[in-house]
Amino acid sequence: MILTILKKDLKLFFSDKKAVLLSFLMPILLISLFAFAFGGTGNNSRKTKPIELLISDIDNSVDSKNVVSKLMSLNEVSLISKDVAEATKLVKKGKYVGVLILGKGFQDSIAKGANLPMELRYDAARQLEMGMLQSVLMQNLMSAIGEKSIKARMNSYFDENFAGIPNTVRAKIFSDMDSGNNMIGETMNPEMGLKMTSVIKEDIKTGNLGLIQAVAGTAIMMLLFSIAGIGGGLLDEKDAGTLKRLLYSPLKATDILFGKMGAALILAILQLIVMFVFSWLVFGLPIFKDITALVLMILATAFAVSSFGMFLVAIAKTRQQLQGLSTIVILVMSAIGGSMVPLFVMPAIMQKIAIVSVNYWGIQGFYDIFWRNLSVIEIVPKMGVLIGIGLIMSLISIQLFKKNISKLIYA
Amino acid sequence: MIQVTKVSKSFETIQAVKDISFSIQKGEVFGLLGPNGAGKSTTINMLSTILKSDCGSIHIDGYDLSENQNNCKHLIGVVPQEISLYDEFTAYDNLLFWGSLYKVPIKELKQRITHLLDLIGLTERKNDMIKTFSGGMKRRINIAAALLHQPKILFMDEPTVGVDPQSRNRIFEIIETLNKQDITIVYTTHYMEEVERLCNRIAIIDAGEIIAQGTQSELQQISNVKEAVEITFKSMSSPQKEKLIELLSFNMNFNSSKVIIECNANKELSKIISACNSSGLIIEDLHLNKVNLEAIFLNLTGKQLRD
Repeated sequence: MILTILKKDLKLFFSDKKAVLLSFLMPILLISLFAFAFGGTGNNSRKTKPIELLISDIDNSVDSKNVVSKLMSLNEVSLISKDVAEATKLVKKGKYVGVLILGKGFQDSIAKGANLPMELRYDAARQLEMGMLQSVLMQNLMSAIGEKSIKARMNSYFDENFAGIPNTVRAKIFSDMDSGNNMIGETMNPEMGLKMTSVIKEDIKTGNLGLIQAVAGTAIMMLLFSIAGIGGGLLDEKDAGTLKRLLYSPLKATDILFGKMGAALILAILQLIVMFVFSWLVFGLPIFKDITALVLMILATAFAVSSFGMFLVAIAKTRQQLQGLSTIVILVMSAIGGSMVPLFVMPAIMQKIAIVSVNYWGIQGFYDIFWRNLSVIEIVPKMGVLIGIGLIMSLISIQLFKKNISKLIYA
Repeated sequence: MIQVTKVSKSFETIQAVKDISFSIQKGEVFGLLGPNGAGKSTTINMLSTILKSDCGSIHIDGYDLSENQNNCKHLIGVVPQEISLYDEFTAYDNLLFWGSLYKVPIKELKQRITHLLDLIGLTERKNDMIKTFSGGMKRRINIAAALLHQPKILFMDEPTVGVDPQSRNRIFEIIETLNKQDITIVYTTHYMEEVERLCNRIAIIDAGEIIAQGTQSELQQISNVKEAVEITFKSMSSPQKEKLIELLSFNMNFNSSKVIIECNANKELSKIISACNSSGLIIEDLHLNKVNLEAIFLNLTGKQLRD
């Protein structure tokens, strides 16, 4: 008896080829994706893409050029020269991880052994890259200018405190330094006077970045699941026979789809509003910082997400298919788009792939509002992409629905 | 009211409807009778605009269906085979929703809902959710939902499936009331007794083809099924048989000790029994073979309707 039930259930399961494919494909795809995202593929010899760092050499001296040339020779860093204002703007927009500014008087400061006018303006939203960059910079700046700077500082110190010290003694001290005596090295300022400045204004509360990531990432991912569920109501209507009855009425097939899309859009907007209001009330997310930008971003995200959800519904013919399909697509999109794990901890290639995900554009848009403090105009391109995604998905869904409506009724 | 000419429909390799033609007059109750899978629902779906025919033409109240779908949709109401209602809505809200799809002004729609709830006898339950209704009650709401826009033609696709006898009678009464209001009704079923009770004219459909159509008496003539009395005797000798033939002038078929006499049984039964007695035949069993759709269908298709 049990065997009969078992056979029946397996037969039912394997009769839906699409559902079977999705059931097996989903875990395989997710495993591959996460392995790739966290660098677990192949051997360890895989080359990582150099971090793109902007540089502004204001001093334009021999020593500053020497530093630039040293950094250019590195495999880990790819230098792009820009003026300070433009570079800062690009970093603020999240295009680059940071800009290294070699200020006026850089060479003189080295000669005098004074603090170096050197600043690294960075995007704190890219913590992982910053950590790597900081380590590479310190190591190489030290080797480029460290010795010269420290000797100058020590000479200055001797002149001030031990003016009568014989030159032979000074030479002995410097010789010991060159031979690798770390005693002196330990006294050096480890940051060589490098000033670290986050490009994001100080009015942002500490910890906001994580909060924005959590709110935007989770909200968009959950929204996708909700919309797929709401859209799935169309398949329930098929099973209940009400879809057929709707078609007996003067409604067109597209009217039914538009109705569902409208409902999905409204629910998506409501869901996002509720999530942001909750984040404001409970976690203090400053949602009124730029309410116009936030409202427009919510509308654009809701449109893209609801259209995408309806696209999934238009592809599926059964609830089982929709369940499998939406789970795999939404999880993959959320993983590559930065909903599950912040993009800055992923390899550069994954960050490039992320642009195919609705999640990416939504999350980055909310980053722009809450973290980068960008104006509405500056966020328009991201909203445009979201609206574009929404329009394309809607058009495809309409065509698919029109084409498959009779199959849907008689399946 | 409805003119169907040489219509066919195939689904991939299966031809569901083959070259069917029929016409339905205003105010008729037209029955589409056939077993499951005969093509009844496909025909209804084509008539109700949701399925395109592969060839042929359909005219509804003078409109060519292929060119005037929207006009036709306002003329017709469809009672689908499935109970196509929203379980989580009340009966009233369901009717309000389905009626609003036809843009009936809200005040008028509410009046119609009140009237229809009264017609189907569910006024008391109007605020209850559909999921709490019995199968029969759901079927009645299913009918009411198709009448809200006051269609001239009502397609009813097996509206009594899974319904208890009491609810079935109630549905019949509703249909008879609607027909009195001059609504043309196309009724599909595989229940003979429903067609016999409700339909003025019938089309017998089998394997996608209309085998015959007409009134019940016309179908009787087409099928050549005749009313008969079937008698089994205890025994029958040749002289007894000859005596019976001599006394009765009907067409008779003898088979061993059994005879089938083609006649109007109600009128001629006493005469037949008297002749049997006069012939010395002892009747063991007597059976009246009435002419009904079951017999006509069997005769026309060579199979039982519920095969």
